[in-house]
Amino acid sequence: MVGSKRRSGSRRAIRYLLALALLLVMVYPYLYMVLSSFADWTQIDKQLLPTKFTTKSYEWLFSGGEAGVTRPWLNAFLNSVVVSAASTALMMLFGIMVAYALSKLNFFGRHAINNFVLFHMFFPAIILLVPTFLIIQRAGLYDTYLGLIVPKAVSLWAIFMYTNFFKAVPSTFIEAAKLDGASDLKIMFRIMLPMSKSITTVIFLFLLMERWTELLWDMIAVKSDSMLTLNVLLSQMFGPYGSYPGPLYAASTILTLPIIVLFLIFSKKFQEGMQFSLK
Amino acid sequence: MKKRVPMVLSVALMAGLLSACSTGQGGQTGSEGGGESSDGVTTIEFWAAPNPTQQAFWQEMADAYEAQNGKVKINVSAIKESPTSEASIQAALAAKSAPTMSENINRGFAAQLASSQALVPLDTLEGFDEIVQGRSMTQTIEPWTFADGHQYVLPIYSNPMLFGWRLDIIRDLGYSEPPQTYGEILELTKKLKAKHGDKKYLWAKPDLADPTAWKRWFDFYMLYDAASGGNKFIEGDAFTGDEKAGVEVLSFVDDLRKEKGLLARQVTDPFENGTGVFTDVGPWTFTTWAEKYPNLKYNETYALTMPPVPDGMDPADSKTFADTKGLVVYASATKEQQAAAIDFIQWVYGDANNDAAWFEKTNLPPARDDLSTNESFQAVLDKSPQLKPYAENVPNAVPPMDNAKYNDLQTIIGTEAFNKVVKGEIAPAEGWAAMKAALEKALD
Amino acid sequence: MDQRNNKLGWLFASPYLIYSLLFFFIPLIWSIFLSVTDWDLIAPTFNVVGFENFLEALRSPSVHAAFWNTYKFMMIFVPLVTALAIGVAVLVHGLPRFKGLFLIGFFLPYLSSGVVSALIVKGLLSYTSPVNEFLRGIGLDINWLGSPLSALFVVGLILAWKFTGYYALILTSGLESIDKEVYEAAAIDGVKDGQRFWRITLPLLYPSLYTTLILGFGVTFGIFTEVYQLTGGGPGNATNTWQMEIFKQAFSNMQVGYASAVALLASVATFISIFAIRKILEIWGKRNGWV
Repeated sequence: MVGSKRRSGSRRAIRYLLALALLLVMVYPYLYMVLSSFADWTQIDKQLLPTKFTTKSYEWLFSGGEAGVTRPWLNAFLNSVVVSAASTALMMLFGIMVAYALSKLNFFGRHAINNFVLFHMFFPAIILLVPTFLIIQRAGLYDTYLGLIVPKAVSLWAIFMYTNFFKAVPSTFIEAAKLDGASDLKIMFRIMLPMSKSITTVIFLFLLMERWTELLWDMIAVKSDSMLTLNVLLSQMFGPYGSYPGPLYAASTILTLPIIVLFLIFSKKFQEGMQFSLK
Repeated sequence: MKKRVPMVLSVALMAGLLSACSTGQGGQTGSEGGGESSDGVTTIEFWAAPNPTQQAFWQEMADAYEAQNGKVKINVSAIKESPTSEASIQAALAAKSAPTMSENINRGFAAQLASSQALVPLDTLEGFDEIVQGRSMTQTIEPWTFADGHQYVLPIYSNPMLFGWRLDIIRDLGYSEPPQTYGEILELTKKLKAKHGDKKYLWAKPDLADPTAWKRWFDFYMLYDAASGGNKFIEGDAFTGDEKAGVEVLSFVDDLRKEKGLLARQVTDPFENGTGVFTDVGPWTFTTWAEKYPNLKYNETYALTMPPVPDGMDPADSKTFADTKGLVVYASATKEQQAAAIDFIQWVYGDANNDAAWFEKTNLPPARDDLSTNESFQAVLDKSPQLKPYAENVPNAVPPMDNAKYNDLQTIIGTEAFNKVVKGEIAPAEGWAAMKAALEKALD
Repeated sequence: MDQRNNKLGWLFASPYLIYSLLFFFIPLIWSIFLSVTDWDLIAPTFNVVGFENFLEALRSPSVHAAFWNTYKFMMIFVPLVTALAIGVAVLVHGLPRFKGLFLIGFFLPYLSSGVVSALIVKGLLSYTSPVNEFLRGIGLDINWLGSPLSALFVVGLILAWKFTGYYALILTSGLESIDKEVYEAAAIDGVKDGQRFWRITLPLLYPSLYTTLILGFGVTFGIFTEVYQLTGGGPGNATNTWQMEIFKQAFSNMQVGYASAVALLASVATFISIFAIRKILEIWGKRNGWV
């Protein structure tokens, strides 16, 4: 008995070591990015773990180096914040609204719409790219915030997730609230939303992350410097800053860290939500 | 209390959204409502090359001009490179939000834009002749005339591309100066590889294996212009390539590959770090070198030469590729904007000191007839002697083709011949034949 | 189903209805129309050229490459990410403590932008990087992004890095739902440790595995950022993808009509493939009696 306990104890230790080693491998690219952004320029891409540090890359990024012309990094960061926040907020709001209708309002055509959402979700979106661009352009939204936000204002996935979640909420809650004279809006935001806090966290984080790292649409929907999102600006500087990997790592860090911090803040709720959403 | 959190959050996000919408629209009216506003100020959009020094030059010019002309406002911004600056301009034209004017336009692209009537023929604008006279560029602009007799582009700079050699490294191999013929270079490559193995290559550059059209300007064309004595390769709609010279160039590249002298891999600054000892060098690199590689000193650690030539040719007859780009005014701009644009150009080029400032800042030789005679440039050349070989070789440089399909055509040079030879996938003569067939089909 | 519910239902569903009209139906029809024209994004008139675009696309080597590469990426990415995710899930599931902390850690790569991972990979795989210096030291000289197979593999690996933690999280909750008693009963029945995974874990994991496989297959049809940033579809067309091809044709070569034809072909190929994959997975599950 004692022997087997010891054996399982050492097995457990090996498991932890293995998991830890694997985890280190998985997060190493982030570590490499952050360390390289602070590394002395002679060590960038020359050492797996730089040892000499400086803030030169960040200073260079915001001063433009020798030529003295800076790219609008700060502005691009703000654009990313505005666009991601607005897009995500709309996707959540419309997701909740539509899902509430599709799950709790017994209206004519509900079934058809429900089926269509599923079809739409699995429809290859690539065919829509060019005409979507043309629509935005004809609507005069090319090179504006709205052009970046409107085509990404509705998420089929969010509608789908919320619909499935709301379906699981017993209708008796709603009947009771209605008897108390609550309006549908009130039910939606005061009853349904608070009940779905953990799944809301999941949906919020996924949508935000996807919007934050979008490249293709943000690249084609915008022309001026002042409208670039951070991801697009970084992508465009690969060529011109080819000789300056340090500042590129610095910009990458600025792009990546906020979303990681946000995720870590919400991580507990996120996990709860994941457990639920998968059942 | 806790239950309120998502509500607070979504309200905060909504606030973000509202401000986003209003700024978005504000930005739009700012850029699209160009032209005359109520207070009589004409706003023009100037797109500069996505190169910081060029952008800085135009910003300074715009500020100085605005200080003297209260009636004009010039917004300078860099052309987006997604995926190339040409594509960004086309996308903007398509979206009817082209700028008033832009620089960084090569002949082929100008031909393409002119054929879709996106450009103003500059010679029809009042004041253009004065610009050409005042900047003394009558000869330089001559070959830029288009088939319809108009001038659509005002060349800004004409830059003969040169090759750089790492003097410090080849000195160790017993050379006091760079070799200039194919045979000598092959011999140097053998010595280099014998000494350094896979630490050093003759020419290390990822672009060698990349079919992107413009990359051929900085490898194939430089060598080909030298080997063919300046043959045009494609003239109008006809392929006029010199087969003997072309096969010699490809054979040279093939020989270098066989000696393991080429490295077409992702590698940061191979020449600067000494992974390669030979590479094409444009004068725009010197700013970066001054900042990041102060160890690179002209005629001490590196030398500049015209492209090497096949054995039996006199290196003194070498020609090279002219990296030359200019300024255009778009047809979509209003008459007021076009007039303001011309006035701005006239103001900039009316003073040779501005060209000297350009030369000093960007290191790109201004497209003028008097580069080596005008005193304004002497000071720059004295200060930066590495620019002298560029200024001297302006007459030996061949500008790119003016075919509107230049993008497709130059891609073919890479995919059918050059890239394949670099990778050892095709024999030089066969590569040339395949490329010729594909080019003739595309030109048809 | 009263009058009030009808009105309210349509009102609440209206954001989606408007959206699908503007960004689904109209674009779809427009796209089909554009695919039979030679429009170049600028020309004021549309020239109808019939099926020429489709014929040209069906002959184009880069379209062939985009088609086949999807399945090549699939063959690399799906097994890799599935094996890694199962590995992580089983490993973490067996930990008595800090399970959540580990899962969060493994999930972090999912938050990366493809642009950033491309930058990091470019740095790590540069010719003079420590990785390559080491490999050359032991006699391995790999042209990572310059030879077709390794370029495919590098992109597949980046994607696997990104998605492993996400899929592992899904699989872990599948494992949680398996009762301990099942294992105990199996042990009594004489199922050996080595067989346990195949005979018990896998069948019970099937529903969540199905989810991750569908997600994984789906990823391979939408690859863009990593390829755009890292290889531009090269070397040759070795890593070209549907998205890349359509983007290049429409926004770089301005051949909007042709790009629309390619997009239509891409949609058909994707639709059929996803449908077939789902059927195969379902049959596979049924045949083994897991569903």
